[in-house]
Parts: sequence; structure tokens; C-alpha cells
Amino acid sequence: MNSSTAYCCPGKNTSNYRGLEDATHDDRLIFDSSFLAKLEQLHLLSRKLFHGKYHAERRSKRTGSSLEFADYRNYTLGDDLRSVDWNIYGRLDRLFIKLFEEEQDLPVYFLIDTSASMRWVPPPGHASAPRSTKFDQARRIAASLAYIALANLERVNIHYFDAELGDHMGMSRGKGQFHKVLDFLKRVPGQNGGTRLLPSFRTFVQRVKQRGLVFVISDLFDIEGCEEALSLLRYNQFETSIVQILDPAELQPTLLGDLRLVESETELQFEVTADQSLLKRYQREMEGFLQGVEAFCLRRQINYSQASTAIPFDDLVLRLLREGSIVK
Amino acid sequence: MTLLTPFALWFLTIIPVIVLLYLLKLKRRQVQVSTLMFWQRILQENRRRALFQRLRQWLSLLLHLLIFLLILFALAKPEFDRFVRKGAFTVLILDTRSRMEAIEKNGASRFEKAKKLLAAYTSRAGDQNQMALLVARGSPEVIVPFSGDEKVFQQAVEKLEPSDASGDLDSTIHLADELLASRRGPGRIVVFTDSRVQTTGHKAQLETVAVGSPLNNLAITRFATRPLPASPQTAQVLLEIRNFGDKVATGNVELYFDGKLIDVKPFNLQPGGHKIDVFPSVPSTFGNSRGWLTARLDTEDPLSCDNEAYAVLPNHEPSHVLLVTRGNWFIEKMLAADDLVKFDLLTPDAFQASMAKNFDTVILDNVLPGGLRLENAEGNFLFINKTPFAGDGKSIDQPLITDIDTTSPLMRMVNLKNVTFLRAAEIPFPGPVGNWNFTAPLRSFDHPLVITGSREIDGEDQHMAAFAFDIADSDLPLRVAFPLLMSNTLEWLSGKKADETSSYKAGDIIDLQPDQSLWVEPQRKFLPLPKIDPGKMARHSYQPLKNGFYLLHTGATARWIAVNTFSEAESNLRAVQESGGQERTPSGIPAFALFTARPMWNYLALAAFVLFSIEWWLYHRRRTE
Repeated sequence: MNSSTAYCCPGKNTSNYRGLEDATHDDRLIFDSSFLAKLEQLHLLSRKLFHGKYHAERRSKRTGSSLEFADYRNYTLGDDLRSVDWNIYGRLDRLFIKLFEEEQDLPVYFLIDTSASMRWVPPPGHASAPRSTKFDQARRIAASLAYIALANLERVNIHYFDAELGDHMGMSRGKGQFHKVLDFLKRVPGQNGGTRLLPSFRTFVQRVKQRGLVFVISDLFDIEGCEEALSLLRYNQFETSIVQILDPAELQPTLLGDLRLVESETELQFEVTADQSLLKRYQREMEGFLQGVEAFCLRRQINYSQASTAIPFDDLVLRLLREGSIVK
Repeated sequence: MTLLTPFALWFLTIIPVIVLLYLLKLKRRQVQVSTLMFWQRILQENRRRALFQRLRQWLSLLLHLLIFLLILFALAKPEFDRFVRKGAFTVLILDTRSRMEAIEKNGASRFEKAKKLLAAYTSRAGDQNQMALLVARGSPEVIVPFSGDEKVFQQAVEKLEPSDASGDLDSTIHLADELLASRRGPGRIVVFTDSRVQTTGHKAQLETVAVGSPLNNLAITRFATRPLPASPQTAQVLLEIRNFGDKVATGNVELYFDGKLIDVKPFNLQPGGHKIDVFPSVPSTFGNSRGWLTARLDTEDPLSCDNEAYAVLPNHEPSHVLLVTRGNWFIEKMLAADDLVKFDLLTPDAFQASMAKNFDTVILDNVLPGGLRLENAEGNFLFINKTPFAGDGKSIDQPLITDIDTTSPLMRMVNLKNVTFLRAAEIPFPGPVGNWNFTAPLRSFDHPLVITGSREIDGEDQHMAAFAFDIADSDLPLRVAFPLLMSNTLEWLSGKKADETSSYKAGDIIDLQPDQSLWVEPQRKFLPLPKIDPGKMARHSYQPLKNGFYLLHTGATARWIAVNTFSEAESNLRAVQESGGQERTPSGIPAFALFTARPMWNYLALAAFVLFSIEWWLYHRRRTE
């Protein structure tokens, strides 16, 4: 393990912790060894079979040399005689070759929203205790899922996006590459405007040739909507899972009085006199948006999970993602 | 309409300041949000209501100005001309007689209702509308003279309490008339009562505020005691109950002696009927007994003060008499028969003048000890036939009775019409002797037949009486007058007053003698007496306004007196000024009595408060900005 990725909280054993270094949230980005052990028990779920690159543990479309029987085919000249099924030849007097499934790795991509809305901090007084930002939560979810994938010998790549597709980590494989994941995640990119899902995903599908699992971790606050962008991924044969991260202050704001609202992404200002009825209408609007996204995902067979920054991170990964059919 | 404090209108100049303050922009709190997506969608809908937005801003300003104007006019104290001009001087009369204690069907007493209305009326007092407050109870009383200070009235009204007294409302109205007559300008009398009032024939305009409705009532209207002539140790009690209702009343009347139930009698009275009960033999007082008799009806009705009556049993201590005689069968028998007399018999030889001070009275029958001088005699004496007054020894044969002083305590109920005297000593009316004041309540022309004398020595009264005739030389012992004359004489000589009043009506004025004082806290329940506060003692005269037992101190002795209402006028609660469900003054002014009683500024202030509350409510629900 790289020494730069191993550190601990005060009073805790150094060897038990791995984590992200972050100037402000270092103690929130720590994974203890027992949590990592639990993650190793999990597998990423995939409905489709994808072509892999390396021999691994996941079924693929190719036939190869695993122990899992796949099919028979007629013997042709040049075939390895060790593959002939002599029992069939004894009964039918014909030569057949036994085919076995090829177990390969699975490409797993993480698309992490780095827009200003993801880094937004709730106004003081809204939460009884300070919470992590949605971006912090997104990075920890991505790290956890990446660890699961790496532990299962999948190939992992992480992309940042906001108004456009940003940096990516590069394909990594094997648990030993987890420090690379952490190193990448702790490099917080600069802000580049608001969330624009469609141009970002369009660039992504053009750049990535090998299809696989895509985890979109975002708040989906795109003024143009998320449906077209998600459809694009699906159209390009990616199996997509959405983890929508929200803050309780967004779900149930408690702002009252004469306010000037400033949007974190665009600095756009809006004057409003908030009362209980207005807040109720806001909540109705928010619920309508969330239900719309969920219904869309259901129709398009996209895995959908909603994550709150108020929910403890362990619970989120071990329970909610499992319920959302993202891991098992 | 007149403004009582018009200078308050100067505050109108503040209105531009309010508008200016309102026009200043609100300083909004800046808050960063993750996205405006949802806010924008909501506010798009809000913009459709922009017109209403603008309107609600104006509504807010309008409400502010309205609240300010209401407060301003409340400060200016506007008043209808009717109250300002006609009521330059107003006398308010509150009826506090016992009938005002009646509880109406709504659970409040007439007095409470009248007091509330009165308090509302007094809030109109001001420099231009001076008021005076009178109460009608036993006698008219001025509570607050003419004043424009509302606080004085409020405090005075707060202290007013109903009384158990009866009284004359007309005399109070007459007093109010007289008070107004001495004032320039129009006057008005407002009477808060439940009784009918003659509204015409007064110098000032008179209005009444009726506070009562006809009610059924049952009352004790008489309750008295007297000792039995045959046996002064026991007393007769007379009790009268009246039904002033329109329904048959049944129940029991309970008689308590010193707090203990001694008798119960049922009654059944037709509407308007009455019943007189006599409790023939009630034990008289003894030992430490207070002699309290309480009659109580076990029924409930609107007026409770006449459901209980109080009386005090006569308390007769036997007087100690020394009879010095050679033998007088009539006097001996008479003294022996009188339970109120305890007597000793002595022969003239054994009598010494110094013995007299040990007895209440000494009767010297046909005896005049040689050493006895009126100037320095101690004790009370009754001389029969032989008197210390010098005479020439002549006698009058068959004297005719020509003058009887019926006001003399000796002659009370004594009828000497057919009494014949064989002879009497001819004595002149005595001259001044040793501070004695003599009278002759019985005369035969210029010759006194009976002489009484009294003087004061060391603060104590000394009495003497002299009969100028021998009892045996008359047919007096055969007459009813004899025991009465003797009893009266002995009672007077012993200093006991036969006419001591022990029962008063609430509202009566009790005149106290110099050596008397009255504990003014009425007692109703037979409980151990608390320590008497010297500040609660009346020393000159006192007007008891509450029923109950009062303790009257005379010198070193004390006795109880009873105070009751005993007035048919007070107990008859059906005789009221009809208000017909809704109160209406005789002048025909619609009487939301309580509503019109309050000055207008009260309602303006209330309206300002209501509007302020509405504005506050609307603001916090973002209906106004």
C-alpha cells in the first residue's frame, strides 16, 4: 500500500484504516479494514454479458477455458484433440468438440458529477451537525464500488464531469490499484459551471470503446433534464446505474422569510418570500422531479438508488445499494 | 361628535413617516442554494399572481395606516354629542340594597351586573363630563363627589360591595337631584337598579339601567324572641316566612341555638302566602351561652340573605334583692314568684347600711334605719311607706291618682286605673340632696305618690325609689299592676334596662353611648371568637350593612345584637323593572347597555388591536409584505 494513502484518525490503529486525504474532510473519507472486508463480500451486478479483455471471474460472451460447459461444435481440422468429447464419439461415432465459457473481466466506469451543486454546503442552522457535501458522498460511494470491482478483478475507470466530461483515472485492475483510485478521487477538479449531462455523456460514449457497467453518481440537477443523457448511455449498450445524491436541505428546506436565493452553479439570484405554503409547493415540485426520474429509470431498466448525505456512509453502501440491485 | 383630546390629531403628521418607512426596501437575507430549478418553476406560477402581489403590498400599507388612524382617534377620545352636552354633570347611582344580591338565571348577581355596567359608564368621566357616584342602601351615601378622574371611579367601584340593607332609592335620587341643582349646566342621573323608578318629576334627566328579571323568592320576614312572662328562663320565638314566588314553595325551616339544631318545622306556602310559626319554649341563655338563635330555610332561591335570620335570646341575670321587713306577705310572694329575682329576708334590727352595697336592691318595707342618709347612702333602695324625705307626718286619705308619667320605666305597662289607696304619706317633692335628681312619676295633685331618684357616683349610676303608701293600705297587691310595678321598679333600681334592643335591621344606624363600642365584624357561624381587632370597633355610631350577630360592649359587659334584612320590599324579587330580555332604558335608547356604556375610544382601540392581529397573522403567512 502506498504510504500516502494510509493514515488514521486520532486514537485509531493506523493499520486498520485506508482513506482519502482531503484537506477538509479527511476524517470522513476513511475506510476501515472491517468495512473493506465487508465490501469484498459484495459483487457488482450486471444483467448483460460484456466482452472483457483479461481472464477473470465474470462470465463473458466468449468461449474459452473455464470449467463452465458452454456448448458443442463439430470437430474441424486443427482442433485440439484434448477438447474432443470421446464419450459422444463412442455413442454417436462422430467427433464433437466441447466448448467452455470464457470468464473475463468487466469494464466498470464511474461518472462522478463535480458541478458546483454537488459541492454546495447547506446554509448554517439547517443541520444539527455538519454534514459532508454531496461530492464527498459521491467520491466515497465511487471508492467503495471501485473497491468491490477491483476485488473482483474488474477493470475500473473513473471520470469526472460537470458541464463537460473531465479527467479520467485510466483503466485499473486488481485490488492493488485501489490506492490509484483513492489518489484520483482526492484530486478535486476545478469547477466548470453547472451540470450538463448530455454533452458529458456524449463525449463519454465516443471516448470509451469497450462497453460495460456505468455508474452515474450525481444529483441530476440538469436544467435540460437527465432522460436524454441516460437514454444515450443505454443506446450505446452500457448497463447504467444511477446513484442520485441529495441533501436533506434540498428535499425539505426550512428557509423562511424574505430571502435572496443565490444558485451555487450560476450565481443567479432570485428574490423570494418563503412561507410554509411556498415550502410545501417546493417539496411537491421536488417530489415530482424525483418520482419522474425513478419512473424513467424503471421504464428503461436503469438501476436507480437515491442517497442522502444525512445517511451514514456504511449504511448507504451496504444496504441501499443492495436494495437498489447495484450490488449483491 | 366631539373630540375630548383634540391635540392628539397632531400625530397625523406622522403618516408621511409611516409611508416613507414602508417604501424603504426590505433587506433580504442572502442564502445560497444548490439549484434554482425548482424555485424558478414555483415562482413562475407566482408571477402569474403579480397583480395580487402588488395589491397585497398596498393592502399591507393600508392596514398600517388604518391601525395608526384608529389609535390616533382613540387617543383623541371622540364622543357622541349626546353624552358630552347632556351629561356635563352626571350622577351615577348604584343600588346596593339587599335585593341586588339576587342571583339571576345566568349565574351572575344583579349587583355584579350593575357594577360592571357602572364601571363601563365611569370610563366616560372626563373634564367635560364630570361625574359623581352615590349608592343607595340604608341611607344615601356619596362615594365619589363630582370628579373627572376615571381612575378614582374605577377604584371606588372596585371596592363597592352589596349590602343586606333595605332602603329608599327615592331619597338617593333626591340627593342626586340636589347635588345637580348646585351645578351649572345640564345634569343627568343614571340609576343602576333592578327596581322600578319614577323617571318623571325630577329636576335632572333621569335614566335607569335595569339589571333584573322577575324571580321567585322565599324569605324569612320576621324572627323575634321574648321571654315567657310565666317563665323568664324560657323564651318564645316568632318566625314568619313569606313566599314571594308564583309557585308553591315547600321546605323546612331549621332553628339553631348557638349553632346546634334544636327544631325543624316544615312549611308549604302558596304563591304570595305566608306562615307564622311560634317555637313556644326555647331554652334561655345560661353559662357561657351566646344566646344565638338562627333560623334557616333549607331551600335555595336567588336571594340568600333573607333565607337566614338571626335573633338573640334575652339574657336575664337574676337580681339580688334584700328585703328588710317585719313581714309583708305580698312582697315576699311576689319576689318568690319572680324567677328574675333572688332575694334575702332580713328583720330591721339586723340591717346595717353597709350591707346595701352587696345587693342590687334593698327594699325597706315600712322601715327607715336611723343612720341611713341619702347623701352618703351606698346601693339602690326602694322605700315603702317610710321614706327619707322629710314630711310633717300628715297623711292623705284616699289619694286620687292624677298624674302618671307613662314614659317612666317604673310605669311601663302599669295600669293603676282602678287601684284604690287607703292613705298615703303627705310628702313634698324633695329638694336637691347630694346630687340626686328626683322625679315623681306618680302624683296625687301636688303630692308625689312615687318618687324616683338617680345620681352618678364614681362613674356608676345609683338609683332609689320611694312609695309614699303602704302596700297593705291599698288594693294594689290584688291588681295585675302590682307585680308589674314591682318588677319594673326592681329592674330599674338594679340598673337593668328592660328595653335593651337586641335586634336591628341592616342599614339602621346604631347610636352608641360613650361607654359602648361595637365590634363591626358580623358573625354568622358559631365558631370560637377570634381576637378582636381594636381597629374594627365602632365607638360613636355604626350602620351595619351585613346581617349577622354583632358584639356590643357596654363598659365591662358585652352582649350580642342581631341584624337582619326583614323587608318585604327587598325580598319581593318579582317587583322589578322589566327589561324584557333585552335591556332597554326608559328613554327608549336601544340598550346594549354594556356596549353603549363604554366610550367610543375603547372600541377604536379594540378595532386597532384586532386589525393589528390580522396584519400580524397575514404577514406571517406571507399574505402581506
